[in-house]
Amino acid sequence: MARSEALFLAFVLHRRDYSDTSLLLEVFAVGEGRFPAIAKGARRKKSTASALLQPFQPLWLGATGRGEVRTLTRVEGAGAAIALRARALIGGFYLNELLMRLLGRNDPHDALFAFYQVALTALAEGQDLDTVLRQFELRLLDEIGYGMTLDRAASDGIPVRSDLSYVYDQELGVRLSGLSEPGLVLSGATLLALAAGEPLEAEQRREARSLLRIALAPHLGGKPLQSRELYRRWFGADG
Amino acid sequence: MAERSLLNQLIDALRCLPGVGPKSAQRIAFHLLERDREGGARLARVMAAAMTGIRRCQRCRTFTENDLCGICASTKRETGSLCVVEQPSEVVAIEQATDFRGLYFVLGGRLSPLDGIGPDALGLDHLERRLCEESIAEIILAISPTVEGSATAQFIADCAARQGVKVSRIAHGVPLGGELEYLDGGTLALAFAGRRDL
Repeated sequence: MARSEALFLAFVLHRRDYSDTSLLLEVFAVGEGRFPAIAKGARRKKSTASALLQPFQPLWLGATGRGEVRTLTRVEGAGAAIALRARALIGGFYLNELLMRLLGRNDPHDALFAFYQVALTALAEGQDLDTVLRQFELRLLDEIGYGMTLDRAASDGIPVRSDLSYVYDQELGVRLSGLSEPGLVLSGATLLALAAGEPLEAEQRREARSLLRIALAPHLGGKPLQSRELYRRWFGADG
Repeated sequence: MAERSLLNQLIDALRCLPGVGPKSAQRIAFHLLERDREGGARLARVMAAAMTGIRRCQRCRTFTENDLCGICASTKRETGSLCVVEQPSEVVAIEQATDFRGLYFVLGGRLSPLDGIGPDALGLDHLERRLCEESIAEIILAISPTVEGSATAQFIADCAARQGVKVSRIAHGVPLGGELEYLDGGTLALAFAGRRDL
């Protein structure tokens, strides 16, 4: 008799073949966080699990096992797969890669899970890629304890003004830019748009991209993000 | 520590075969030694020759011991259509099951940024050159309908569009003899979206 397990809402972040008939998955789930799991027999001919156990498909999963790698006991679709194409698809891969690289295993991150769903849906709806990715990156940094305050100067707490220039210091945060400041200079408008989650304009996208790249770098180690490379190869520009 | 006798080495070496665990490896080793030494010796000779002699076809990247594989070297193929597949085994499957008589291109995988597999690892730069240099009128994508597969298909479709080459992909849907009731939702939805006139 199989024990009846509570099902949890989940997404597959990554999958690869395991033995002849199984899949080894990296799962991101409500109440569970990120964890590895095996779907036994999912690649057998008569199994429909392989079709479901794909990235960007909302799932209800049941799992057993206390060890490092759990075994899936139930797999059900929780609605249609989120259909991503071209730029949005690479955006989706990018979100997954960030979660794989930055989230520790077996730590619940339910707020981030909800935001992940929102971000995927926004990508599928064709919303501006930069705005969606930057907002997700900010939430992710927040979740792992490196949240950024962007709408106030770090030293004195004076609100950022859209008509002034600022610099971002990795340790200290936002401060007013002096004359001929080395490093990344950001317009107050960019900082405010990021803090408020508003759509970014062309120049703001470039600034925001550089800012988040600097903020994420220490947590990513030296290895470049592969989805970023793919974006560059595919569309020729930075993403 | 297990003894590193020749027998142990043989059993160990056999385990590199897919689906062969320690038990099967031992069975195969004893079978060859007891009953079929000649077969074992032949296997060893052919295996050694194949491992050094078989390379990738310079045009389609399938396995061959020559510069070009049999299909690419043939003068009887239709050079205007190119079928893109993931694995060399799929070339064989398509050759046996369909009446496709064009050329092939074997990727050897799918675009998968999280595994570090980018366009160059799949020879997509090579494919793009072929689209430029040869007079290919149509590309047929026979790539598995996974998320990575569809990323690969879209990447190739974008390349082909830049060269003005027509792209189609093989149909996805209900398997022959399959029953709708047992089909997963995604496949059923695809089958519906891709329905055709009778």
